[in-house]
Amino acid sequence: MGYSGARGGLEAILAAEDLVRRARDHAPAPWASTEQITARFRLAVDRVMGEGGLYHEPTAAAALRQAEGDPLEASHLVRAHRSTLPRLAVSEPVDPDEMTVLRRIVPAFREPDGPQLLGRTTDYTGRLLEQPDGPPEPGTVQDRPARERSEEHRRPRRFLDLLRKLDLVADQRRGDDPEPVDITRKPARPPAPRSAVLASMARAETGGLVSLWYRSILGPDGDVHEVTLGEVRHGRVPLRVRHPHTGNPVTLGEFRVTEAEAIENLDGADEDRTRLDVGYGLCFGHNERKAIAMSNLDIANRRFGRKGPLEQLLLLTVDGLDSAGFLEHLKLPHYVTFRSIVERKQAMRVAAEAGEGPAERPADPAGKEC
Amino acid sequence: MTSTMDLVDELEREQGILDEGAKREIRRAVLTAVCVPGYQVPFGSREMPVARGWGSGGLQVTLAVIGPGDTVKVIDQGDDAGVNATNLRRMIASTTGCAESADTREATVIQTRHRIPEEKLGDEHVLVYQVPVPEPLRGVEKSVAECARMHAEDDYSKIWVSLYEDLVRNGVITRGSGYPVLVGGRFVMASSPIPRWDVPRLHQCEHLNLFGAGREKKIYAVPPHTDVRPLAFDDVPFEVEHAPGARCRLCGSDDVFLVEAGADGGYLCSDTEWCSRVRDRDADVAGHRERAPLHLLPDPRTRMAGAATIEPYVAPARVSGEQEWSLRVSGIGKVHGRGGAGAVPGTGPENGTAISPATGAIVAAWDVSFDVAPGEALGVIGESGSGKSTVLGCVIGDVDATAGQVHLAAVDGGRTDVLRLPADERRRLRIAEMAVVHQDPAAGLDLGVTAGGNIAERLTAAGWRGYHAIRRRAAELLDRVEVPLSRMDDPVRTFSGGMRQRVQIAKALATDPPVLLLDEPTTGLDASVAAGVLDLLRGLLAERDVAAVVVSHDFAVIEALTDRTVVMQLGRVVERGLTDQLFHDPHHPYTQRLVAAARR
Repeated sequence: MGYSGARGGLEAILAAEDLVRRARDHAPAPWASTEQITARFRLAVDRVMGEGGLYHEPTAAAALRQAEGDPLEASHLVRAHRSTLPRLAVSEPVDPDEMTVLRRIVPAFREPDGPQLLGRTTDYTGRLLEQPDGPPEPGTVQDRPARERSEEHRRPRRFLDLLRKLDLVADQRRGDDPEPVDITRKPARPPAPRSAVLASMARAETGGLVSLWYRSILGPDGDVHEVTLGEVRHGRVPLRVRHPHTGNPVTLGEFRVTEAEAIENLDGADEDRTRLDVGYGLCFGHNERKAIAMSNLDIANRRFGRKGPLEQLLLLTVDGLDSAGFLEHLKLPHYVTFRSIVERKQAMRVAAEAGEGPAERPADPAGKEC
Repeated sequence: MTSTMDLVDELEREQGILDEGAKREIRRAVLTAVCVPGYQVPFGSREMPVARGWGSGGLQVTLAVIGPGDTVKVIDQGDDAGVNATNLRRMIASTTGCAESADTREATVIQTRHRIPEEKLGDEHVLVYQVPVPEPLRGVEKSVAECARMHAEDDYSKIWVSLYEDLVRNGVITRGSGYPVLVGGRFVMASSPIPRWDVPRLHQCEHLNLFGAGREKKIYAVPPHTDVRPLAFDDVPFEVEHAPGARCRLCGSDDVFLVEAGADGGYLCSDTEWCSRVRDRDADVAGHRERAPLHLLPDPRTRMAGAATIEPYVAPARVSGEQEWSLRVSGIGKVHGRGGAGAVPGTGPENGTAISPATGAIVAAWDVSFDVAPGEALGVIGESGSGKSTVLGCVIGDVDATAGQVHLAAVDGGRTDVLRLPADERRRLRIAEMAVVHQDPAAGLDLGVTAGGNIAERLTAAGWRGYHAIRRRAAELLDRVEVPLSRMDDPVRTFSGGMRQRVQIAKALATDPPVLLLDEPTTGLDASVAAGVLDLLRGLLAERDVAAVVVSHDFAVIEALTDRTVVMQLGRVVERGLTDQLFHDPHHPYTQRLVAAARR
């Protein structure tokens, strides 16, 4: 008969799980259905799809409900779910020029090709808190007849094309990154191709990426300077997969993405100072903050990524699951490692009493424990 | 007929945390890790139902290697009953159908956080460690790319310097858990973090150790019967945790890893299984005592004991082959900009410019040749911009030469053009074959490290592993360059410019390199300080069989130190000869100007 060990830990875990379930799922309030969450918390759902790396609104909504509205926890649920799924096919590359735009803003031109399409935005709505007693009366919002939209309206030419026509864009196309790096299969470490850095940003925690972008502008080691937004758009793109038997691309459906192009002035010694550089951002769902930050950081990374810490920061520090997971692990027991630290403090004292150090004028430590 | 949707439905019904494709991928990474012990294998780490940092790497490895016929044990801090261990155990058992046990003797796969069980492990055990930080060099190097280079090139002197400095600063090595170890004599590896108490258990063990770092996407392994040595100086023993007189309050053991019991004081076994079995008399206590690292308990006397038995330093014997020279530089050229050799016509002293009329490129140096014999010093003189530092940069490896060859008698008998060697081999030449003294001491020293530590950097790179031998050698060198020994353990940042330059010279001479390159060694120092350093260098060159190249704009420096001289102007050699003759009877008008400037 071997050692069986105590089981106190399991009881505590089950009790905690029970507490969560009761308070969350049986709260004295109406149940939040998946439809309610996707319809009323659209931007939270989109954010979870982007950070979770899985485009499926009902899955993201279920994760948000289970996570009690914490987008990072919801992204974790989505990603762990993703790990259980086999990979059945790989999609064809998406051509963003095929996007049916729902919203499109070109700040850099007064009259670009195609429309300035405001779409669904609260950019110009006063941020006044509404505190309604209940749901709005039906009929308070007038039905508008759908406007006839031309092909140009639905698929405007992109800003980058206009710049290219004016011969204002430095050509950054390179042949050394033909197949995008799948960072979920191949861990990207510096030095890494541009596609790996873009993929890392597309899955990044939105707040983390925006914070890094802002640090790049206002921080002491900034790499983003002349910030001009070329274009930001939100729309639907088709998803195609090659049919396993015929080998022909088949459209399975559409998904929404946010796309951004940012302009940066080129002024470096070895740069083409007569032209501009354009950076690119794309992420799942409607998340303009992330796409815009990504497009700016794309240029900064190309120009300065390896001269300083930026490439490593973009590849290794913007993933929400990584940073939050490491932070939260501090809550785990550490008394073995702590004992080891305390023992060395005691050994230092014994050494000092034995008359061998520490040094009278100590230098800073050469290296730290981590 | 089965449709694709049916297949998907079936897959989704399977209870699993990881799909089978992912498990295969992880097993492949594990196999690579077993084949290259201690090397961190990158893998496509999946997200787990536990947070990254909560054992997601260990969990992936366990799920990939475990089967229904296995028995799993999970411990956190040595404890089976902690909430984290409990949680992982139920997750593993419920999704794989394997049996659970808290008894190490019954278990086949043991997932652990921070401990190795006290029970004897054998070839029936796979021990899977949860690893938060897999990179042992992160403490001394934050750049991921640079850490990868250091591992690839077996360039570990930085972590050795950190141990040296630790001993100097604190009298002991203060590293707690996760102590760095050398695996199979090749890769430095982070030990999980397990306490130092457990580190000796890795050496030549019988079980398989697999380390999973999910957040950092690395897997590494220590297979059975592999050498695992903690990084420690030969003469300062590695020490495990110990508190005099400490015993477990429950079972009375004093030969186990003990943790503080709590507010009431005293200690407890960290391994709850072992503690319980000792109390139940169900443990091989005598066999355990033999395994326990009691010979490594901390002892202040043994740390310093090595000081008494150092062998005196003997300079390495150099085989220079059949060559008369130690360093030969042939036809070195460097063009900044377009055109390569085609940019050269129309440049040089006779044209009065270094800028190519054809391409606009700057021809910084062209067709520069010289050689230096052992015991000889060669001067390279010219105004700033004449290309002399470019030539030196090409020899050192800081500048990519456009044309020419560099041969060292110490490398392959002088037959190999060192410019054609790969970057890592060139970097290695700078440990023992060729040393540089830069104009700016910060370029050759780590200013945050002590004077002794800077010399230790070069010595550990050259393979020195005796703390007291390194201390004595550093003291000899510092004494020779007239740095007071009372400053040996002070960071170089606190030194004056002249003193820093002396430390840099001491470091350059540490391994007695056959070739010494001095780039404006006294420029930037006060005149009186410069004169002192110059005197020192003259004495050092005279007493050594070193081949020296001295680059300077100042004929006074060249005259003081060198036997022969080449004069450079606009990237070309315009005159060469014995230094005395050039100084007293310069032919080229440019040389005459340089001499006149020095005499003023």
